[in-house]
Amino acid sequence: MSLQNKLNRFKKDLTRIEADHPETVTIKEEPKTESLDERVEEKWDSFEAIPLSFDEQSCVLREKKLPMQTPLGNYTIQDYVQVIAKWNERQHLHPLSANQRDPEDLLFFDTETTGLGGGAGNTIFLLGMARVQNDGIQVRQYFLPAPGNEVALYHHFLNDVKDLKNLVTYNGKAFDWPQVKTRHTFVRDAVPQLPQFGHFDLLHGSRRIWRKSYESLRLSTVEKELLNIVRHEDTPGYLAPMLYFEFLKEKDPTILKGVFQHNELDVLTLISLYTHVSMILLDIGESTALTKSEQFEVARWFEVVGDLQEAKRRYKMLVESTKQIDASKALALLHKKEKEYDCAVALWESVLQQTEDVDVYIELSKVYEHRYKDLTKALHFAEEGYEHWKAKGRILRDKEKTDGAMFIKRIERLEQKTKIGNERIF
Amino acid sequence: MKLRKNLAELLTIMNQDESVAENIVHWKTLPEKEGKVVDLPYDVHPEIKKALIKRNITRLYTHQNSAFKMANEKKSFVAVTPTASGKTLCYNLPVLQEIARNDNSRALYLFPTKALAQDQKSEMNELIDEIGIDIKSYTYDGDTPSNIRQVVRKAGHIVMTNPDMLHSAILPHHTKWVSLFENLKFIVIDELHTYRGVFGSHVANVIRRLKRICAYYGSNPIFICTSATISNPKELAEKLTGEDVQLIDNNGAPVGRKHFVFYNPPVVNKPLNVRRSATLESKKLASLFLENAVQTIVFARSRVRVEILLTYLQDLIQRKIGDKSIRGYRGGYLPKERREIEKGLRDGDIIGVVSTNALELGVDIGQLQVCIMNGYPGSIASTWQQGGRAGRRQDESVIILVASSSPLDQYIIQNPEYFFNRNPETARINPDNLIILVDHLKCAAYELPFQKEETFDGVEIDEILFFLTEEQVLHEQGNRWYWMNESFPAHNISLRSAAQENVVIIDQTDVSNIRVIGEMDRFSSMTLLHDEAIYLHQGIQYQVEKLDYEEKKAFVREVEVDYYTDANLAVSLKVLEEDKQKSDPAGDVAFGDVTVNAMATIFKKIKFGTHENIGSGPISLPEEELHTSASWISFSDRVTEGLSEKELEDSLIGIANVMRHVAPLFVMCDVSDLHVVPQVKASHSQQPTIFFYDRYPGGIGLSDYVYTHIDNILQEAENVIRMCPCEKGCPSCVGNEVQESNVKTTALTFIGKGRSGYVSAK
Repeated sequence: MSLQNKLNRFKKDLTRIEADHPETVTIKEEPKTESLDERVEEKWDSFEAIPLSFDEQSCVLREKKLPMQTPLGNYTIQDYVQVIAKWNERQHLHPLSANQRDPEDLLFFDTETTGLGGGAGNTIFLLGMARVQNDGIQVRQYFLPAPGNEVALYHHFLNDVKDLKNLVTYNGKAFDWPQVKTRHTFVRDAVPQLPQFGHFDLLHGSRRIWRKSYESLRLSTVEKELLNIVRHEDTPGYLAPMLYFEFLKEKDPTILKGVFQHNELDVLTLISLYTHVSMILLDIGESTALTKSEQFEVARWFEVVGDLQEAKRRYKMLVESTKQIDASKALALLHKKEKEYDCAVALWESVLQQTEDVDVYIELSKVYEHRYKDLTKALHFAEEGYEHWKAKGRILRDKEKTDGAMFIKRIERLEQKTKIGNERIF
Repeated sequence: MKLRKNLAELLTIMNQDESVAENIVHWKTLPEKEGKVVDLPYDVHPEIKKALIKRNITRLYTHQNSAFKMANEKKSFVAVTPTASGKTLCYNLPVLQEIARNDNSRALYLFPTKALAQDQKSEMNELIDEIGIDIKSYTYDGDTPSNIRQVVRKAGHIVMTNPDMLHSAILPHHTKWVSLFENLKFIVIDELHTYRGVFGSHVANVIRRLKRICAYYGSNPIFICTSATISNPKELAEKLTGEDVQLIDNNGAPVGRKHFVFYNPPVVNKPLNVRRSATLESKKLASLFLENAVQTIVFARSRVRVEILLTYLQDLIQRKIGDKSIRGYRGGYLPKERREIEKGLRDGDIIGVVSTNALELGVDIGQLQVCIMNGYPGSIASTWQQGGRAGRRQDESVIILVASSSPLDQYIIQNPEYFFNRNPETARINPDNLIILVDHLKCAAYELPFQKEETFDGVEIDEILFFLTEEQVLHEQGNRWYWMNESFPAHNISLRSAAQENVVIIDQTDVSNIRVIGEMDRFSSMTLLHDEAIYLHQGIQYQVEKLDYEEKKAFVREVEVDYYTDANLAVSLKVLEEDKQKSDPAGDVAFGDVTVNAMATIFKKIKFGTHENIGSGPISLPEEELHTSASWISFSDRVTEGLSEKELEDSLIGIANVMRHVAPLFVMCDVSDLHVVPQVKASHSQQPTIFFYDRYPGGIGLSDYVYTHIDNILQEAENVIRMCPCEKGCPSCVGNEVQESNVKTTALTFIGKGRSGYVSAK
C-alpha cells in the first residue's frame, strides 16, 4: 500500500487531537481570495499597524496613544499617578510597592499564544504592553505575522523594553514571562538578552484579597466585579489561537482585529487593577468598600510580607470596629510574638466571650503555664479546651488522634507540675 | 516444633518423594562459574578508584572493563549481562569518570520504569558519597516535587528518568533543559531488551526526537545500553538508537550452582491426555519451600493466575508462617503497594511473591533462592530472565518450570534439549509503523520546526509533513514546517499501550469509601472487566457490577464465590491489500493489510479446583475495529483434497491452535501481541486460510516476520502435534475446541502433505 493510501486509511488515528477546552467553535469559512501583498499592507494600515523588519524577517507593530482622560473603569490616569506618588512616600516594603519607580516605569504586559500551557511548541504571536507617559497611555503590540519571524519580533520588542524596570501582569509569573523565556531560547543568539526587572503579578495580589469572595479570579471577572469595566463584543481569549491559524491561511489581518482589541483592553485593565489594589493597600479612597473578611485578608497580607506594624494597625481597626474574631486572634498572636502578653490575653479573653474557641484555650493555657507561671489557670484552660474540642466533630481522623493526644499530654503535664508544686509548698 | 529444612535438604526430598520425583522429566545442574577479572584500569580517576577500593572492588569483571574502554573511545555499545553480574558499573563507571574530569558534562539515564530509576539513584548516590566529588544525580519523574525540578534541570549532572517522562515532560520543554542538552555526553539505556514491540517502537521514535534536540543544542552523546540475553542485542540497540553500536558480551561475573528442573504434572485422564493443573502443582511445590521459609518467587502467566495462586498459597501458609509474608505483584497494583512489596522482599519480611512478568525486570528485590514458573513464560529469553531471579553469586539455587497443558509448554517440557540448545529469541521493533511514526513527528514538530528535506534520523518524511499540513496540524512557511495547533501532542500519545485510554477499576464495596484500586487497558477490559466478570486484586475477589465502556470505568464490589470467569472473543477479518506474496509448497503465503473486528461474546464461570464449567452469560460490548498488518497462508487444493468439510475445519482449528503458541516463540512476542485466526473459506480467496495479525494498529513487524519464516513455524507446529503423547488430539496440541475423534491424525496428514513439498524440494 502506498504511503499516501496508508495515510488516508489511518487518518482517524493520525489526526486524533483532543480539544483542550470544552467549547466547540466553528469558524465561518470565508471564500478564499488571492491575497495580494499590497492589499495586506493596506489592511494593516487600517488598524494603525506598521511592518518592521530585521535580518530578512519581519514583524508588525501596532501603536496607539490614548489621551489622559481615557477612563480606566472607575479610575483615570491621575489616580494611577497618585498611587505611584503615595507608594513613594511610604517607607515600608510591599511586593506591589512602586517605591522608587516613576509612573512610566511600570510596563503593563500581556501575551496571546497559539496554545494553552507551557511547552516549547506554544508560540507567542502577540506581545502587548501599555505604558503611562506624560501625555497619555502608549499601547504597543508586537505581532508575529508568520512563524519563522521571531528574530524580528524579539529584536524589536527587546530593544523597546531594554530599560524595563518593572513588569505588571496577570498570571505572568507562571505563564507569560516563562513562555517569553522559552521562545527567546530559540532565538537567543540573534537577539538581545532578556532584561532583569521587578515583576508585579496582580493575579497573586487578587488571590490574596479576594480568593474567598469570588469563585473565579479570571481577569474578566475581576474587571467586571471590581473595576466596573464592561466590554462590548469582546473576542474571548480562548479563540485567539484559532483566529491566528485562520489568519495564517488567509493572510487577512481583519480576522485578528478582535484579538488585538482584546489584548489592548487586557493591558489597560491591568493599569486599572493596579491602581485599585494599590488604593486598597495604601488606604486611599473607599477601601471600606471591602468586606470585613477582605479587610482581614489585606491585613494578613501585610503580616505575611513582614510589615507587622501595618498588619497590627489594620487588625486593630477591625477589632475595634467589629470585634472580628479572626482579627482578634491574629492580633493576639502578634502581641504574643512581641511579648506583650497582657494585650494578647485581653484579646483572647474577649474572643472567649463571643465564642468557644479551642485554639484560644490552648494559647491561654500556654501563656499561663510558661509566662505567668499560673499552673491552676493553665490547667483550667487546658481542660476547658479539651472539653470543647471533644464536643466538636472532626473530619480528619489522623488529625483527631494527634490533636487529642496533644491535649491529654498537656493536661497530664500540668497536673504533674501542679502536684510537684503542691508538694513543695507543704 | 518441626525443624525447618534448608535448600539442599529440600532438593533431596524432591528427588525422593515419589509424588514429586516421578513428575520430574528433566533435571539439569548448571555448574558454578568462576569470575573472570582484570585489574582496575590505570586511568580510572583517583577519587573513583579510592571509592571502589573502599567498596572492596579492587578489580573489574571482564565485561565491565570492556565497557570502560569502549566508552573512553567514545563508541556506543550494548553490554549483555545476566542478572546479578554488576552491570550498573558498565555505565556508572564511564559516566562518573567523565563528570569527575569535566564538571560540565551531563548524562541521561533511561529506565523502563520509575521504580528502577529510583533504585539506581540510591545506589548511585552511595557511590558518589564515597567518591567525595560534588556530582549531582537526580531522578526526574511524576513524583519529583516542582521545587526540585528546577534544580534538576539546571544543575543535575545525571538525570535518571523513564522514556514516558522524556517523551511528555522533558523533550516538549527542552528550552528549560538547555544545560543538559548542550553538554550531554552519555545516554544510558538500561534493560534494553524491554524495548521491543509497540513500546520499543515508540521509544525508538522518542530517541529520534532526543537526538534531534541534542543536535540542535550542539551535543552528540554516545549510547550505553545494557540488555538481558536475547539473540540480537546489537541489532536491537542499533535500531533503537539509530547508531552504530558495539557488542560487549564477555560476561566475567561468577555464577553459583543452579538446578533447572522441568516438571510435568501427572496425567489424570489418559485417553484425553488431561494433566493435573499446573497451578495446583505449582502451589504444591511452592508450599514445600515456603513452609520451610525458603524465599521463593512464583511466576504466573496472567493476572488471574497470579491472584488464584496467591489465594491458594496465602490460605495454606498463613497458619505456618504468619500473615502478610506472601504477596502478589503485577501491573494494576498501585505504585505505592509495589514499592512496599519490593522492599519487603529485599528485607526478607516477605518470604514469597507471586508475580506476572512485571518482576522480570531489574526491579531490585535481591536474589531469591527458588523460582517456580507456573507455565512456560512463552520465550526462552523470558525463561532465563525469570529464572535469574533465583540464584546468588555464591549459593545454590533452583528453578522449576511447571508445564501447563498448552501445546507450547508440552513441547518445551518434553524437549528440554531444545530449550537448552536453542538461541534465545530476537527482539523486534518497527519504529516506522506509520501511526507511531506520525505521532512522534507531531511531537517533534512541536519541539522544533522541520526544515525542508530534513529527515527524521534518516527517515524521509516530506510526504507525511505535507499530509499533516493538509490536516492543519502543521503550517508551512518558507521551507519550514511549524507546529500550528493548540494542543500539546505528547499528552495524547501513550508509549505503553495500543489503547490510548485505560479503564479505571473502582471498588464500591464500602459506599462511604469508594476508591480506585487499579486500571487496565481497554482491549483487555473487554474480556476481564465485562459485567459479572470476577476480577481478582491482591487475592480478593470482586464482581464487576458495571463496565461503563464509554466513560472507561469498571465498578466492582467485593464478593466471595468459588469460581472465576473466562470470556470469549469473536474475531472477523478482511483483507484490504496484499503487499507481498510467495508460493509455498503448502499453499500461497501473503503479507498485507487487514481490518479486524473483535467482539467479546460470552463468558463462562469456571469452578476453582475442578475447573468445571458452571454457567455462562452474554457480554454486550461494542465491537472494536482494528486496521493492521497480517500475513496468511492459504492451503492449496493438493493439501486439502480428500478431506471432508468437517475434517478440514477441525484440522485448521487444530493447526491454528498450535501455531498460536508456536509463532510467538519465533517472533519473541507475547501470545496476545500476535493473533492467529483460521478460516475455512477466507472471504478474499475462498481458500482455507490461517491468518496471523499484529495486535497493534498498523502492525509492528510481527506478522511480517511470520511471512518470512512460515516454513519453520509449520515445521515446529508439526513437531508439537507429532510429539504430543496423546492418542487422538488433546488440549495440549490441537486444543479443546475440536471434538472430532481423529483430529490429530487428520491434522498431521494435512500439515504433512503441506510440508512434504519441502522435503521433496530438498
